[in-house]
Amino acid sequence: MNSLSLTLFDCVVLVTLLGLAWQLLATPDLFKAMVLFMSFGLVMALAWVRLAAPDVALAEAALGAGLTGPLFLSALHRLRGTRKGERRQQLDSIEHRGKIEKVTQRTSGRIIYLLLRILFAGLLLTLLVHLATILLHVEYENPGLGVFVAEQQEESGVISPVTAVLLNFRGYDTLLEIMVLFVAVVAVWSLATVRFSEKSGQVSPIQQGVVRILAPLMILVAVSLIWQGTHLAGGAFQGGAVLAAAGVLMMVSELPWLRLIPSLPVRLMLVFGPLVFLGLGVSCLADGRFLEYPGELAGFLILLIELACGLSIGLTLACLFVGGRPVDDLVDRGQLEEGS
Amino acid sequence: MPTVSASFWMVLPVVLPLAGGLLCFLWRQRSLWLPLAFALVNLIVVIRLTRLLLIQGPLHYQIGGWETPLGIVLVLDGPALLMLLLTALCGAGVTCYARGYFAYRISAQKQPGRHERQERFFWPLWLMLLAALNGLFLSGDIFNIYVTLELLSISAVALAALSGKPVAQLASFRYLLASLLGSLSYLLGIFFIYRSHGVLDLGLLRAVVEPGSSMTAGLVLMSCGLLLKSAAFPLHFWLPPAHANALAPVSAILSGLVIKGSLYLLFRFWFDTFASLISPAALNVIGMLGILAVFWGGILALLQQRLKLLVAYSTVSQVGYFLIAFPLAYHDATLSVWTAFLFMILAHGCAKVAMFMAAGTMYLHSGHDRMRDLHGIRLVMPLTVFAYGMAGVNLMGLPPSGGFVGKWLLLTGAFDDGQWWWSVAIMAGGLLAAAYVFRVMSPLFQAPVGASIFDGRPTPALLEWPPLVLSLIALLLGLFAPGIMALLTANGGAVISGGLP
Repeated sequence: MNSLSLTLFDCVVLVTLLGLAWQLLATPDLFKAMVLFMSFGLVMALAWVRLAAPDVALAEAALGAGLTGPLFLSALHRLRGTRKGERRQQLDSIEHRGKIEKVTQRTSGRIIYLLLRILFAGLLLTLLVHLATILLHVEYENPGLGVFVAEQQEESGVISPVTAVLLNFRGYDTLLEIMVLFVAVVAVWSLATVRFSEKSGQVSPIQQGVVRILAPLMILVAVSLIWQGTHLAGGAFQGGAVLAAAGVLMMVSELPWLRLIPSLPVRLMLVFGPLVFLGLGVSCLADGRFLEYPGELAGFLILLIELACGLSIGLTLACLFVGGRPVDDLVDRGQLEEGS
Repeated sequence: MPTVSASFWMVLPVVLPLAGGLLCFLWRQRSLWLPLAFALVNLIVVIRLTRLLLIQGPLHYQIGGWETPLGIVLVLDGPALLMLLLTALCGAGVTCYARGYFAYRISAQKQPGRHERQERFFWPLWLMLLAALNGLFLSGDIFNIYVTLELLSISAVALAALSGKPVAQLASFRYLLASLLGSLSYLLGIFFIYRSHGVLDLGLLRAVVEPGSSMTAGLVLMSCGLLLKSAAFPLHFWLPPAHANALAPVSAILSGLVIKGSLYLLFRFWFDTFASLISPAALNVIGMLGILAVFWGGILALLQQRLKLLVAYSTVSQVGYFLIAFPLAYHDATLSVWTAFLFMILAHGCAKVAMFMAAGTMYLHSGHDRMRDLHGIRLVMPLTVFAYGMAGVNLMGLPPSGGFVGKWLLLTGAFDDGQWWWSVAIMAGGLLAAAYVFRVMSPLFQAPVGASIFDGRPTPALLEWPPLVLSLIALLLGLFAPGIMALLTANGGAVISGGLP
């Protein structure tokens, strides 16, 4: 493709992004906002491709456009599912509008309201312009850390520079990030139990059949994405996201055995990835080296860590979609009391 | 140059609690031993690190063996070690107290399942938070600090929501939003700094920092994020409801330890890494915010009807003192303000943890924390009330408490520097603290009106002793001043070490 058409493409992507973002913020309908957010994620992934960052593009497509949607949907569903939530939503909009209308009935009120808005927008705009000018004036000659990564690439045990940074040079960061995901699940479990809704019976057998075929394929794709991470774009996060998407599909199609999974194996799998990562890091600690993989084993160990973490990340994201601890988790005297 | 085998001890304060958190989530056996073992081992490791620091001077550890521009370095110097010590001490205290707290509530036979659930989720979250704090104090890399901040705030928010009451959930949701906004602002700041200088390591950054618009923009964004996270006036709005409505051990952790993380980072950035960017005007703005915080927090604390809210507002007020240290540290050649800052952090950490624990015990016994209905509770739990009073002495800054040493050093700094006006706020703040502490103390000693409303069961030792020990440590901190100074100036006299090994 010639450069003119590429520039045109970039312009279209940019304008679409801005337009989507504006509509997303302006729409009062939460469902519409959610759909817009997913499309925003897709276009954003395109933008990342154009910025020559295929890893980020993959993650954005899988997480931003893919998995965030179902997460929002389930949150929205819960909000609408309860009478309290629904009333709250109505009240919020009525109250908010009422307040504004009350203020804007008088002309002076209307003018003050308008002035406040303009002032706020002006402040934000000034900040934005300032930051943008500073960015434009940054001297571009500094190469960042890319040079160092390229120099040490051979010692890292993998071919993909992104994976080398994520799991070797700055593996400590990734270890802590995986702990952040783990803590997110613990937080969700501490807040709510999930009661899988009784069979709605609305799922057609065709959908279930398709999912039965699709899910194994998706798991294959996920594993190949993780494996591919050692030499191309991909890795534990992207693979985990695809795995989670397979899980979400199965849950939405109400496969009967999903409800019967007890808490202990889920906990084991959630802890598995972080524990393998930490354990392999510590196993090098005997001679005083933390997370320092022995040279010839580095590639293999990184693949091992990626597989384990990919599995746990997938389950983590799926658990976030479920939005609560399994029903049999912490069954005790109190559970029954609370339920009644 | 420290040997490799010695400095790997620095990894343990992060690795051990992480492993502990994972295991506590896996094995739900309702026992104290796993978390307590991890808290105690953490304390032992930190004591061992203290010895290493005194013998060898500041330590550096390259994670994965990668050199600085590429890899991440852990740095242990005097200030970082003192923060680790504070965290380990308070952590051990909180762990004991939490066990007693949950056991007491479970044995009350009122919704025991609910309390069991809270306890089982408390341990993994608390150990993860401990790991995040230790990692934050040890880290020598601005991006790694961001990751630890993220781990810290997610686990802190989850802990704040643990009580499950709608008020607590609403407050912790607000806390989550404020905290995420702070993180994002910090991340944007990193972006500006990395874009213009291409390094993330604190030591390397200190060498290349020069006044320039993108560096300043980065520092301003990072500082705003950190100020929001440490609830500096006027960004404190999220703190009182979140801290006051959490479970008692959680309130202690949040108020005593979590906000110290971002405050410590702020001080470190302004006076160590980015020191050459700082202008007196910016420092005066921070100092003014500090004065406003001291008064606003103090006055609102006086107006509260609920004990835990009072203690939470007193945190807002105390954060003001830390901010007042900023303008005083600027011309300071002897580094006494670094010492003052750390003394106040240590003293306030121990005292506030003790105070929230004591308030929590009173809450447990009476089922509420309305101050006018707490008359005569001294008869039921003399040790707890004593601990509360000792912690209060610290907040007022009476000798020989650590709070006194901190304020004294600040005052001398202010007068030596000719900036006497800051001292007015420091002293007035002490009076305000005395007013709100005595306001609680006096009804506690009055004879109860009518029949006793308190839960008749005896207070378990685990609920009484941790706050008492911590408040006594804070009280006697002033007597250990020479030892702490020795730690700060270990090996060579520099308070702060460079990032380069």
